[in-house]
This record gives sequence, C-alpha cells and structure tokens, in this order.
Amino acid sequence: MSQPQEGLRGNPLRDVRDRRLPRVPDPCALVVFGVTGDLARKKLIPAVYDLGNRGLLPPGFALLGFARRDWGHGEFESLAREAAEKGSRTGFRDDVWQRIADSIKFVPGSFDDDAAFDNLSQTLIDLEATHGIRGNAAFYLSIPPAMFPTVLKQMQRTGMADNAERGGWRRVVVEKPFGYDLKSSRELNELVDNVFTPQDVFRIDHYLGKETVQNLLALRFANTLYEPLWNGNYVDSVQITMAEDVGIGSRAAFYDKAGAARDVLQNHVLQLVALTAMEEPVSFDAESIRTEKTKVLGAISVPKDLEHYAIRGQYDQGWLGGVRVPSYLDEKDVPAGSTTETYAAVRLGVETRRWAGVPFYLRTGKRLPRRVTEIAVIFKKAPHLPFSQTDTEELGHNQLVVRVQPDEGITMRFGSKVPGSSMEVRDVSMDFLYGESFTESSPEAYERLLLDVLLGDATLFPRNEEVEHSWRVIDPLEEFWAGRKPHLYRSGEWGPAAAAEMLARDGRVWRRP
Amino acid sequence: MTTTLWDTNGTDIVKALSLERRAAGAIASGLALTLVVVVDERHVEKAQSAATTAAAAHPCRLLVVVRRSLTANDRLDAEVQVGGHLGANEAVVMRMYGRLTLHAESVVLPLLAPDAPVVTWWYGPAPERLAYDALAVLASRRVTDCAAVDDPRAELRRRAKDYAPGDTDLAWTRATSWRSLLASAFDDNEARATSAQVSAEAGSASASLVAGWLTARLGVRSRVVTSDGPGITAVDVRFDDSSRIRIDRPDGHTATLSRTGRPDRPLPLKRRDLGDLIAEELRRLDADQPYAEALAAVTGGKNLNERSAKRTHIWREPPGTEAGSTKTATGAAKTTRATTKKATKKPAKKAASAKASR
Ligand SMILES: NC(=O)c1ccc[n+]([C@@H]2O[C@H](COP(=O)([O-])OP(=O)(O)OC[C@H]3O[C@@H](n4cnc5c(N)ncnc54)[C@H](OP(=O)(O)O)[C@@H]3O)[C@@H](O)[C@H]2O)c1
Repeated sequence: MSQPQEGLRGNPLRDVRDRRLPRVPDPCALVVFGVTGDLARKKLIPAVYDLGNRGLLPPGFALLGFARRDWGHGEFESLAREAAEKGSRTGFRDDVWQRIADSIKFVPGSFDDDAAFDNLSQTLIDLEATHGIRGNAAFYLSIPPAMFPTVLKQMQRTGMADNAERGGWRRVVVEKPFGYDLKSSRELNELVDNVFTPQDVFRIDHYLGKETVQNLLALRFANTLYEPLWNGNYVDSVQITMAEDVGIGSRAAFYDKAGAARDVLQNHVLQLVALTAMEEPVSFDAESIRTEKTKVLGAISVPKDLEHYAIRGQYDQGWLGGVRVPSYLDEKDVPAGSTTETYAAVRLGVETRRWAGVPFYLRTGKRLPRRVTEIAVIFKKAPHLPFSQTDTEELGHNQLVVRVQPDEGITMRFGSKVPGSSMEVRDVSMDFLYGESFTESSPEAYERLLLDVLLGDATLFPRNEEVEHSWRVIDPLEEFWAGRKPHLYRSGEWGPAAAAEMLARDGRVWRRP
Repeated sequence: MTTTLWDTNGTDIVKALSLERRAAGAIASGLALTLVVVVDERHVEKAQSAATTAAAAHPCRLLVVVRRSLTANDRLDAEVQVGGHLGANEAVVMRMYGRLTLHAESVVLPLLAPDAPVVTWWYGPAPERLAYDALAVLASRRVTDCAAVDDPRAELRRRAKDYAPGDTDLAWTRATSWRSLLASAFDDNEARATSAQVSAEAGSASASLVAGWLTARLGVRSRVVTSDGPGITAVDVRFDDSSRIRIDRPDGHTATLSRTGRPDRPLPLKRRDLGDLIAEELRRLDADQPYAEALAAVTGGKNLNERSAKRTHIWREPPGTEAGSTKTATGAAKTTRATTKKATKKPAKKAASAKASR
C-alpha cells in the first residue's frame, strides 16, 4: 500500500491533475442583506439555486436572508422558492430545492436594530453546530448604498466582519454604484476596507462575469495572431458601444441622480477599455490582472476640448421597434426640466507606448435602436494599395469586433475580391459564433461571480484603485456637463447628431453595431 | 437540412457535407473537434441525441459509424445533416455493410474536421484491444464503457492491460459526482484515513474505480461490497482518530453525508444522463492521469501513465468470417473476445437501460 498523496490545500482527494472535479468552496454561509429586493430575487437566489443544482455548493452551506419583515422561516422559504423557480437557468427540481431549503434561514430586523444584528451574529456562530460551518461567511450588500454605513457599522460592532475573531474567512460583496464621484467613492472604499480587509472586498461588475469578456483575455493572450497588431502601429481607433433599447423604466429616483456616465460608463465601459488596452499580465492570477488593469485605467486621458469630445444626450419621444415611446422628461417620476443624460459619448486616450495617439471612442445610451454591447478594434488602412482607386472604393478599415452581447462571438471585417472577371475588392464579415448553444448553457454572470466570491477568487472583481481611477475619468466630464443641457435625440436613433459630428471631426464614423 | 445517400462512397459524402454547410449559411462555427461514435443500429438515436447534447457545449462534427452485417455485400449508406436541431453542429451517420465494416476508417478519415482533435466513443462493447479498431488509432481520445458488457470487472482488467494515455471510460465519468462530494467532505478534515469501503450493486465498474481512486489517493485498502443498488449506494471512510465520513445514497438521487461529530447533511447526488457524461468527456482532451491511477489501483496494473500514447493498428480477421455465421443486428463481430458471443444481445440492452450515472 502506498502513502497518502499530498493533495491541494492539504486534501489528499484534491489533485491538480484531476480536472473533472469542480472547484467547490469551503463550508460557508452567504448572508444577503436586502433579500426582499429586486436584485436578490431576480439574480442572487436563482444563482444560489443553480450553483446547488450543478453540485458547486459545499456540503456545509447556509443562506441567511436579512430584511425588515415580520416573517417566520416559512414565508421566507416560499419567497426564495418562488424566486428560484422563476429565475433558475438549469431547470427547477424539487429535491435540489429541498436541500437548499434545509439550509436557509431568515433573520428579521431593520438595519438600526442592534438586537437583530446580535441575533444574526449568534445565528452565524450556531451554524457550526447545526451545519458544520466553521466561521466562513460572505455578506452580500444588496441594499441601497445609503444604507451601507449603517450596516457596516453594525458588522463592526458585533465583530461579524472579523476574520481572526471568527476563525474563518469573512468577505463582503458590494454592488455598483461605487460612490457618486471620486470623493464619495473614496469614503465608501475606506469604510468597507476598514470594516473588512481590502482583499476581502468583492465589488461586482457583472460584465466581468460574462464569458465573452473573459474570452477577450484568451483571444489576446493565448494567441500570436492578434498581439503583434494590438497597438498604435496598426490600430487606427477603438470604439466601444453599450447600447440599450429600453428606457429608464421605474428607476427614475436612482437614475435621475446618476445619469448614463455614472451608471454605465464609470464601471462597465471603462472595465472593457481596461481589458482591451491592458498589457499582458505576468500570470493569470487576480493580483497580476488587477495590477495591469489599474495601470491602464491610470493612464487614461480626458480630452481638453470637452465641448466637442464629451457629448451627452437625452432621449426625446419617438418610435422604437414599432412602438411609440415617451421622452425622458415624460417618464414617471422624472423631475421637470431634468438635465440628466441618458446618452454619453466621449473620446479618451490611453497614454502608454502601446496606445499613444489611438483614440478610444466610448458611447452608451438608452432607447437606442437595439440592445448591443461590443468592442470594435479598427485597424489602419494598408499603407499602399496596388489596385486602382475604383477597384477598392468599397474597401474600408479592417475590423475586429468582440460582440459581448447578444450573439456572443467575434466578427472580423476584411477586404475580399468580388467574384467575377474584374478585380474589385469589398468588405466582408466573418462571424465566429462559439456555438450559439454554448452561450446559452454557460453560467449566468452572477452564478460565476458568486461562486468566485465563495472561493475567494478576486480575478473578476475590480479593486478599489480601479474604481478610483475610473472616477478620475468621469469627474471632469461631470463637472463640465454640470449646468449645461444635454443634446436631445429621438428615441430609436443612434444618439444625438453631436456624437456623429464628434467622429466626423476626426474623419471617422461610428460603426453601426 | 438532411441529405440521404444510398450506396455511396466517401467522396460523395464529403461533397454532400460541403453542400449542406453552404446551404446552412457557411458560418464559421467554432468546430472544436470531431466525435466519432461507434454504435450498433438499435442505439443510433440514443447515441446521437447524447452526442448532440454534449455538442451544445463543445461544437463538433459528429461521425456516427454503424457497422452492419459483415456477410452482406459491401455497401455504404449515409445521412448528412447540418444545423437544424443540431445547432452549430454537423453530423454524418454512416451505415457500412460487408468487408467495408473492417475498413471504416477509409470513409471516416477524409471527413475529419481539419486539424481538430478526434475523439472516438464506443457506445457498446469496445474491442478487446482498441488497436484492433483503426477508429481508435486515429483518435487522440478514446472513450469506452465498461458498464456496457456482461462482466464489467473483467472488462476493467482488459482496459488496464490495454491502457494508453488518452483512454477513458464512462464508468469513471459516472463516478465524478461521487468523487466530487467525497473531495468536498475531505476539505476540512485533518485526520488520516485508515480504510475505505464502497457499496454498490453487483458488478459496478464505477464502484471499483471509486475504490481504486481512494486507494491511490489515500494510500489505504478499500473494498467494494455488494448492495441492492441502484449504482453506488454508499462510501464509508474511517480515520485514525476513529472518526468516519459516510455518504449514503439509497435511492439514486439524494445522498446523506454523515461525519462524526457533525450534523448529517442531505445533498443532491443525481445519476446523470448520457449527454452530460459525454459533455464531461469532451471538456478535456488530454490524458486523464487520475483515471489511470485508479484503474491501476483496482486492477493491479503498473505504470499506466508511463505507457506510450501512440497506438498502431493491429489487423485482425473477425472470427465470424470463416464460420460465415452471425448475421445479427449488432453486425460484424469486431474482436475475438470470448464474451462477444453471449454479449450480442445483453450488453446492448444494458447500455440502453442507461447504466448512466452513478
Ligand atoms: N436590481 C439590479 O438589477 C441591480 C443592478 C446593479 C446594481 N444593483 C444594486 O444592488 C443593490 C440592491 O438593488 P435592488 O434593485 O435589489 O434594490 P431594491 O429592490 O430597492 O431592494 C433593496 C433592499 O434593501 C432593503 N432596504 C432598503 N432600505 C432599507 C432600510 N432602511 N432598512 C432595511 N432594509 C432596507 C429593501 O427592503 P424592503 O423590501 O423592506 O424595502 C430591499 O430588500 C443596490 O445597491 C443597487 O444599486 C442592482
């Protein structure tokens, strides 16, 4: 008989070469504050269920819901069950649910109620006896950011956030918005990083949980084909678009204070810039990747001529997909005369050797013709064309487009001969779909990210410096826009005319996504 | 969507496939591999549907080889399908008759997706030595199923004897969920294991492999004992501090994890369907060392991981040919294996009742 094997983390049954076994977190509890909210019901509970169904939850697992409801366990269970039934991706099964239902608990109370937090703290301690969970817990703050300080202070008071005191890991998950500007985001970061330790803070940017976004890193760093061209010698410009066809819905109270730049540009779009422009990380671990992202976010420059290169817009009424839709100002709960933008387009630079002189055009907006997010890398034209002018009239720039959503995949646009006896060249597209069905069965972003939190893998979570660098980009734009009126654009069009003029001024046009 | 070719040849199949691809829009679909399935007529549909499920996660070209009667006149029929319910995938089902059944690779070779890895999967009993089948030689990964024959334990020994890196078996795949749960149960456990026992229905190859794996990883003796099933019903590990970890699954879907000094935990541990198993097989195409170690531990085989990954085709005249007998639906006997005779009916049935999932 041979000796027991070493194994990963001291577990002889875990073998690096054994890639069939999934990564499963240590026994732990997930505490959700604001479990009655929209995010918890639509995303978090279904994600927990799907993880359970895929066998990715540890044997010792508990889901604790905290909310101001006079509820018993039964009421919470039926809310959770309904949420899982509605939102699960992998198909609802009773036996899987039973197992999760056995480990969910409801803790009632409001955030300023000391007794409720003492109760929660005791419940966590009791989990060792009832569920075999020794001190590991992740806290998900699915609550309005205004409530963060109250909740964090309660955690500090009860020692709930303390790794050492509880003999396990303690992690916290926060959702955007990460503040309102640089100053407030710093305050928030300081607060969270103090109560927890910085490496235990997980900031969710659900775009980073998407397969295609991670695939961008594979595309760039696992191949030799693209990297030599991925710089200012060959790239003319980069266009990143994140368009939505919907309006603001019922989010007026939040949205009117934020606007498109704070809501989307600051986080999702700038993260896409970072992944597109970053240097190769020395290894694929969380620290190396975040270091490279931080460097490139710190190198972003804002245009001097904000008048012409930072355009914002607001949707007017119009027709979208055959339906008449109201203007932003006519949406429910929007204050009269609001100057909040629902569209923002800006030209940024990345001041590194790789990208000097290459403009990054970013745009995001609501009520645009269709929902699409893409990164388009537009290459320079060939320096010399051995064809006659008329033969290449229809030849544009080569492009490489990463389609983030929908139709996840990659498109390449390049010139090709038109079949026939004359030499004519025109642009054609080659679409790469990594199997339509592949993306369907791939995990929902929240599922992936939640699992990573429980595993303690921070690769896909921006760290506080990244957030602060992003605000350094957004703050000057907001300052410039303050007190000015946004350009109007008709719902169902690709943004205000001023945004098109911005590119025309540089001799370019927006790609129609 | 589907082209059917009667009494055809390889060149025409290649043409039909390329026409179908054009008709389907000739999109650059990320074909990641070619999956060759060797299956008998009765199970074509099951095999194809499992392969299609698996292909949802791993876009592939599916080549289904059905070897019909060896004594019939030489003939090749084919169905070519692109898109439709196959999604981004392509499938060719080939039915071969007569001596052609012994030269299936001549049809398959020109149909392999260029430069992509090839996986060959025997739905039913695999040849005694995989090298007897040229379809094994052209594959970089070979998937067999010990549960598809009458005596799975004897089959495990055959597989160990014949093992080359890149071989794998669905009995091992079925054990993944058990192994995963066991590994989690060990995550916060410091004691040293002293013995292990796996209970399962008689002749479960998956149970043997779990026991072999525990032996290889824990360095302890592990036994397999017979229970009423279904599949594996319990795993019990004892430790030097006299604590134990036990997982019970009497009903085939919910398990109970008991650990000394801790509350019992119910956990889902469902038997998976064939499509899931194949999808797991297609995820990684490199050699599976932990499988080789488990197989070695259970069969007493040696140095499986050090063997050469290369196989050379061994020509073997099937025994039925001289006798001129066996015109069964399972068709051409492929090997001289002793079990083949009585295996003509039963193993197929076993595979059909989806021995799937432990
Ligand atoms: N929904 C999304 O898709 C989404 C997307 C990105 C980011 N986020 C962020 O995620 C967080 C949660 O969003 P959400 O959409 O779920 O918000 P929500 O629907 O408004 O829910 C907020 C939750 O917090 C609770 N809450 C609010 N004020 C409270 C107080 N004073 N005392 C106790 N509980 C209080 C609510 O409980 P009651 O039911 O008792 O009011 C509710 O459970 C926010 O930070 C938001 O910015 C959400």
